Formats: sequence, structure tokens, C-alpha cells
Amino acid sequence: MANPLNDSLDPPEESARPAALAEDLFRRESAHLVAALTRLLGPAHLSLAEDVVQDALVSALQAWRFGAPDDPRGWILKAAKNRAIDAIRRSRRLAPLPSELESNEALSTSMDRVLSDAEDGANQLAMMFSCCHEDLSDDTRVTLILRFLCGLGPREIARAYLVETDTVDRRIHRGRKQLQSLGRLHDVRAPEEVRARLPSVLQALYLLFNEGYHGSDADNPLRTAMCSEALRLTDLLLASEVTASPEVHALAALFCFDAARLETRTDSDGVFVPLSDQDRSAWNRGLLERGIVHLSASTSEAELTRWHLEAGIACEHALAPSVAATNWPRIVALYDALWGLVPSSVVALNRALAIAEIHGPGAGRDAIDALEGDRRLASYPFYWAALADIARRAGDPSEAARSYERAIAVSRSRAERTAYERRLSSLVGALVHPCNGNR
Amino acid sequence: MSKFMFIFRGGGIATPGVSPTDLQAHLKKWRDWIDALTQSGHSREPGNPLQNPGKTLRGRAGTMTDGPFAESKDMITGSLLIEAKSLDEAAELARQCPVFEYDGSVEVRPLLVYGG
Repeated sequence: MANPLNDSLDPPEESARPAALAEDLFRRESAHLVAALTRLLGPAHLSLAEDVVQDALVSALQAWRFGAPDDPRGWILKAAKNRAIDAIRRSRRLAPLPSELESNEALSTSMDRVLSDAEDGANQLAMMFSCCHEDLSDDTRVTLILRFLCGLGPREIARAYLVETDTVDRRIHRGRKQLQSLGRLHDVRAPEEVRARLPSVLQALYLLFNEGYHGSDADNPLRTAMCSEALRLTDLLLASEVTASPEVHALAALFCFDAARLETRTDSDGVFVPLSDQDRSAWNRGLLERGIVHLSASTSEAELTRWHLEAGIACEHALAPSVAATNWPRIVALYDALWGLVPSSVVALNRALAIAEIHGPGAGRDAIDALEGDRRLASYPFYWAALADIARRAGDPSEAARSYERAIAVSRSRAERTAYERRLSSLVGALVHPCNGNR
Repeated sequence: MSKFMFIFRGGGIATPGVSPTDLQAHLKKWRDWIDALTQSGHSREPGNPLQNPGKTLRGRAGTMTDGPFAESKDMITGSLLIEAKSLDEAAELARQCPVFEYDGSVEVRPLLVYGG
């Protein structure tokens, strides 16, 4: 299977031959064009922008079936521009345009400018910041990013996000109404506007990446694509002076360290491989190096965000030669600091596992027991897997088996389920001969 | 070898709301199909994609109407001239056409060649 992350590392050369069309040309161009047209015409004309771009892609399909143009991207751009001008002339009566676009000539000139490569980054950033409006839920923000920045259709978003298409449709509907009510897209060249919205943008990108990372599934390449898209959008933030900041570097570092391990997280059957069994020599060196560069760029200001801490933890794992030789005390210290910012059960659970590595399973078990008040953990497979792992190492295979069964019962994907089933069956020998319980 | 015309109706082009990814995947199937027809010597000339809407003139009075529009499932979207030994073989070649993926149709018609 091709690694979708390669896209963000080495963008494929675009060729005139249709057989070699960049695989995601349509998806990318549709996102770029919708953002550009919406920025120019104002979000009130979002639907017009979407219709025009869809129409341009359909006409490309129509024309290219029998032969391809020399410059496919330029072809789509021109088709979209012409259709947009036609549609605007027809709809002028319906919703007023910004006054500077009243004349046909001004419209054409502005259109060329906003569709130019020089404006592409700013167009996408304006759309990204607008999609992360305060009044929208986290899920809706991520859905809008998948729709308007990644160019995915509702059915694809549903597949990527593991929800029903109806749910995605509702979120897009809500988000579109919110966008359309804005007079203009977010101004990503105004430092105050950027500062105010940046935290929710980073949060949305983090969720986008995690959706792809934790649910990664060999049957579903869209999930890995979510990771590479999150990384691409973070790079976009870093490419603009106003949006680049140390905390963005920290988030980029976190993505790079995690993404470097993505290929080894599942085996050839698509089943999750525990960290201790992963082939560390197969971790992506290029991404690890990019992570280190971002992490050092993230320390230029005093403020320590959760992204700094999470990147620091990911960095410790990524650079350690083995589980045993990992700097667990430093990881516990980072989790302690993270708990201070984000006191979630997931943070505490990970901290407990790190403690078990230092002080043994008993101490880990105590740390997990302290969490029992949080009922949400019962539906979190990793909670049961962590308990099982600690029980196994404490020499209690029957307790471990019970916890693996709970983990299997609440697992969210085939990759997760099979991984726990394998660990459960590896216990069988130990269950027959309890003295073999240790690893 | 005899000449046949494939007349395509409906399909992905006439189906609203297909996502960009799906449109491109569909385009690739068309390219692969045309490439295969070219390599096997059945297709020698480029096909004819048709734009829309156009105009239709009808009757003695030449009544003119706009259309057809993209929503029409019966809209002719293009044609392709191919060579085959028989109508049956031509129809067999049409069976692989990607237009069916979006419920379109292919009409296969032998070309009437004078003096042929």
C-alpha cells in the first residue's frame, strides 16, 4: 500500500499525461477553488462557489474522458473562473456582491488574483479559521475542515470519521449556515484576529490527526489521509508569518513524531502492533528529523502549551532505542505537567502506564485504580487493555484475560479487536501454566 | 472490420453531487477503458465529448428549445467510433464501459458505409 504521507513529503510532479494525473487533483483543486471563490465573493455565496467548482470538475470529466489537456490544473481553474463569472452575472440580483466587484472587468481581475498560486495559502487559511468558529462544536469544525479544506464529500467524511452520512450532512448544514452568516472570511493577515482564533484551529487539527491516527485501519486509507492532511494544514499555518508561532511548531512536531510511527502501528493484516513489538528501524527517519526541527523551533517563547508537552512525550518515544531504554521518568514528568493543563483520564491512564514501567505493575495498578471514578473509561478499550497488560506483567493471567475480554467488547475497529484477541490468545499458555505468566 | 458508434447517455456526468474523489476515480476508469480499446486496435480516433446545454430544433416550424440539461439521465454526453468484427463483438466491448457505474447507457450502432 502506498503511504499517503508521502504526498506531504514529496508532492508528486504534475504531468500532462492523464494517466499520471495526481491522484488527488480533483479533491485538492476543489478545496482550493471553493476557498478562493468564497474569499473573493464572501461566504454568503458559498453555495454558488461550491456549485461552480463541482460544475467545473464535471466538465473536466466530460472533456477528459477521451483526451487530456496539457495543463489539467490550469484547465480546471479556467473552467471554474468562466463558470463563476457566468453564475455571478445571473445571481447578482439575488445577493449583493462586494461593491468592488460590481463591474465585469473588476470581477475578472479580482478573480485572476484570488485564483493565483500566490493567494492559495491565504485562501485556505481564511477558510480554515472561519471553519473553526467559536459557535461550532469540535466535531462540526473538523467536519468542515474535511469538507472545505480537504475536499472530501459527505460520504467520505462519514467513512473517515466512522459516523453515519446523515450525521455528517447535519454538521455540514449547520456549519455552512454559520459560514454563510459571516460577512467575510476570517482575515488571516490581521494578527489580533489570528491570535484569537488560533487555539481552536490547532485543537481542530489535533482532532483531525487523532481521528486518523488512533482509528487507523488498513481497510480504510482515508484514515491515514486525515493524518497527512492535518500535517499539510499545519505546514500551511507555518508558511504564513502571521499564523506561524511556536505552538504551531509544537503541534507540527507532535504530528511528525506520531506520523513517523504510523506505518509500523499496524501489521500486514491491518492489526495494531504494540509499541514493544514495533520495528523501530522502520520508523520514518525523514519525519522524525522534521519533528526534531519543529520541536526546537517551538521553544523560542516561554509559554508551554499542551502541544509542547505532547510533542515532548512523543519525541521521547520516537528517539528511544527500545521500550526498556525509554526515559520513563522524563515521560512521567511531562505527563504530570500535561495533567496540570489537561486533567483528563486519558492523560492519567498514560501516566499510570509510564509509572508501571518505572516502579513495576503494582504502582501502575494503583495509579489506574485511582481513576475508577471516571465512568467514561469503561467504554475506552485502551483502559481495559492497559489493565490487562499490567495484570499480565504482575503474573495474573486470568485477571489479564478478563480485562482483554472487556477491551474486545468495546473495541472500535477490526484492527483494535484483532490486536486484543491476539493478546488474549497469547495468554492461553499462561492460563494453563500460571507460573509462566510473566511475558 | 466494421465501424460502430457508441453513443453515451447519462452516467457520472449527469449525476449530481458526486464527490471530487469519486469523479476523478470515475475519470480514471474511462481513461483505462479507452486505453484498452486503443491498444487492442478497436479505437483509432478520439471520441467526441458533447457540451451542454445546447439547443434542439424540431418540426416544420423549427421550434427551438434549450437543453438538454445536465440533470437529464437521457442526455447524450458523447460518442466514440470503434471498429469490431460484428455487432455482437461491439456490444461486448461496450459492456466494460464505465458509464454504467452511474447508471448511464451505451447505444451501439453499426455505421452505414456506402460502397463498403
